Amino acid sequence: MTTSEAGAPPVLDVRGLSVRFRMRGGRYIRAVTDARFSLAAGERLALVGESGCGKSVLASALLGLLPENAETAGSAVLSDETDLLAADERTLARAIRGRKVGLVPQSPAAHLTPVRTVSSQLEETVRELLRTPRSSLRAAAEEAAERAAFPVDHLDRHPHELSGGLAQRAATALALIGDAPLLLADEPTTGLDRDLVERTVDELARHTGASRALLMITHDLAAAERIADRIAVMYAGRIVEIADAEDFFGTRGPRHPYARGLLDALPERNFIPIPGTPPELGALPEGCAYAERCPRASSECGAQPVLVGGVACHHSEAGVGAAGAEGGAAGADGGVAEADGGAAGAAVGAAESREPREPREPMESMEAGHA
Amino acid sequence: MAEITEPAWRARGVRRRSTRTWRIRTSAVITLAVGLAVLLVPPLVQLDEQAVDLAAKLQPPSLAHPFGTDDVGRDLLLRCVYGLRVSLLVGLVAAVVATVIGTAVGAAAGAFGGRVDRLVMRLVDLFSSVPHLLLGIFIVAMFRPGVWPVVISVALTHWLSTARIVRAEVLSLRARPYVDAAISGGASRVRVAVRHLLPGVLPQAGLAAVLMVPHAVWHESALSFLGLGLPTHQASLGTLVQSARGSLLAGDWWPTLFPGLFIIVPTLAIAGLAGAWRERLNPRRRSELML
Amino acid sequence: MLELDAITAGYERGKPVIAGISLTVQPGESVGLLGPSGCGKSTLARVAALLHRPDAGRVVIDGTEAGGWRHRAPRAQRTAFGVVFQQPRLSADPRLTLADLIAEPLRANGRSGEPADKVREFAARVGLTEDLLGRRPHEVSDGQLQRACVARALILRPRWLVCDEMTAMLDASTTAALVHAVESYRTETGAGLLAVGHDRVLLNRWCDRTVDWSTLAS
Repeated sequence: MTTSEAGAPPVLDVRGLSVRFRMRGGRYIRAVTDARFSLAAGERLALVGESGCGKSVLASALLGLLPENAETAGSAVLSDETDLLAADERTLARAIRGRKVGLVPQSPAAHLTPVRTVSSQLEETVRELLRTPRSSLRAAAEEAAERAAFPVDHLDRHPHELSGGLAQRAATALALIGDAPLLLADEPTTGLDRDLVERTVDELARHTGASRALLMITHDLAAAERIADRIAVMYAGRIVEIADAEDFFGTRGPRHPYARGLLDALPERNFIPIPGTPPELGALPEGCAYAERCPRASSECGAQPVLVGGVACHHSEAGVGAAGAEGGAAGADGGVAEADGGAAGAAVGAAESREPREPREPMESMEAGHA
Repeated sequence: MAEITEPAWRARGVRRRSTRTWRIRTSAVITLAVGLAVLLVPPLVQLDEQAVDLAAKLQPPSLAHPFGTDDVGRDLLLRCVYGLRVSLLVGLVAAVVATVIGTAVGAAAGAFGGRVDRLVMRLVDLFSSVPHLLLGIFIVAMFRPGVWPVVISVALTHWLSTARIVRAEVLSLRARPYVDAAISGGASRVRVAVRHLLPGVLPQAGLAAVLMVPHAVWHESALSFLGLGLPTHQASLGTLVQSARGSLLAGDWWPTLFPGLFIIVPTLAIAGLAGAWRERLNPRRRSELML
Repeated sequence: MLELDAITAGYERGKPVIAGISLTVQPGESVGLLGPSGCGKSTLARVAALLHRPDAGRVVIDGTEAGGWRHRAPRAQRTAFGVVFQQPRLSADPRLTLADLIAEPLRANGRSGEPADKVREFAARVGLTEDLLGRRPHEVSDGQLQRACVARALILRPRWLVCDEMTAMLDASTTAALVHAVESYRTETGAGLLAVGHDRVLLNRWCDRTVDWSTLAS
């Protein structure tokens, strides 16, 4: 579905992006580890995962909005070679946010200034980003509103006088003004009604069009299915699967056991939760972080799986035969989760199975981080 | 891969705290120095701040008397330290009393709501409608000059703002779903107030108390300056400035300047620390790790 | 049986958010209440759980009319309801550890003697591991915190559960886990459920019957 011409650089190329937080006592919390993906113009990528898996941290890293105790590694390069991770605050504020990366916020009500009308906020952004002369500000604001299907006769209202859907459109209108090639939507549908979710993501799809790229971060799989061409699944700070949306939601289905579990938990599917809870980002196991909850876990899972062919799993659907491991692998390492209610036991079992592994051969792309 | 070679980490996040850190450190150093001075100097030095030396009256600052001497030859540095001790004590006690009254009244108004709330807040409005220096003067005037009337006067005029802050905070906490959950769990009114509401407002109340110390010191100084506060022989920052008025007209600046600085600098330092505390109190809506 | 009879309620005098709404939940029944945001379904849920005093109408719980609302409701009636709200961050006292949060209803009812085991039992029911119990709300994720809130709602063994958009902020797996926790509790105790939400697929899957707000309000 990618519409970029051959050879054109991707709108966003994320290579080995990692984020960790320095905590008291010299501890580190690894919120994002070695994320890599790229986005071409016209592409819509949904990054999905449980709360606390690090997906919002990844978004904040791309916008340069991490708190002070955060450290990053790797790079996130825009088509003009700007590295979002290396750029200083001045550059981010003047040249990137709004101009190259537009943010569609999680909570439009909090994103809009409550004491000012929508038009005054649109006009301010238009003036800042486009340097529009004062005389034509109003016209530009109306144009911006129309692009986001925000009714022009509501422009002089304050945010609290708008319905949830209109507030979302107002926030989207703000995000679109700078005509940024990359749109970043952080949980744009949280707390919205199903109808409104569908309308919001349809509008986001429309705004992405053929010229922009969209990165949508969400825990709402239905919204992701509706909008995305590609799905990236994040677990415990790592992207464990990245696949075409059609395959992912279609008959082939996800290949990573976690992604399969996540889809299986949907009420329109089997409605069966994944047993256990995600591991702590401050105490990640040596190997595959999902092993303690995984029905396929085996001794192999003590080593960190590498993202190959879009999936990072020793026992992925396609990789079962190739890896030479039997599919079931029950009881191999004590890290096998029981079907129901065995969360505590499974977590303990996995905690005990963290023996050190011998280092594996180095992989390519060691250059990440020196952009 | 991240496990094999540790990636090249770089610190992220904006360093915008440098002036703030500087401010906090300066405030902390001054507050610490002031605290040590008022606590340690009187017992250690054992000099008589009241020692009159008419031969050395109104001397400008010198090595022997770094702050100079007053009109009866008393050493001003020593008088300032003793004065600060009295003023801080008055300010501290008054602030604590005012905070306790204000918190109790505000919490009661917020927790009970309805008629109690309306009655209490009308009372607060009534008190606030009188300029509080005037009210303070009125209260002091009813007693003989001394430390306690000043403490009472300052405390009784300053609990109003705390009551307002605490009430507003209690009202906002009371509307939280966690209070609903507590009620549904069978918690009594008292339990909700003591276990869920009060702990939520105590940091705010504590902050209000610290912020009130400088204010109370200024009030003590103002009352004493007007001759209504502490008796003139008792060195407080207010009485020092007051008794220096005469010499200022004669061109002797030091008896006014140094006590004045002693009012301003320590109180600003305390306010600076309180400001830092206030920044820390900003509620963390999202989790600490932004997860 | 939980009967809501001609409930009119709101937050300002003369401006009712809901007017004349009636709804009945049979013992052991689960009813999903489906409606768009802002329609007043949360207000109805709060009235049902005796947390908001209606301007008019009656709430009858197992044959006894509600004696009052909030603190005025008799403790036995209040604690007959377990409530779970949409936003775990706002539903948890930020100063309590998760263990204290779950044990709070026991302590509020003078049953301080039994928490430790009970807390562990109910934490396990909602899939909370023990290492999380010592943490405070800002140290856990939304999903983990909501699990604790569900445990808190269940720990007094209420006969009725009111879940107001319980899973709106949660991912698919946590949603399924919490719904399963609630359902296994209901199978065991025969408690009735009023689940308020806007996700039709979820409520249809979860509840015995789903009521559309528009049919109630007409």
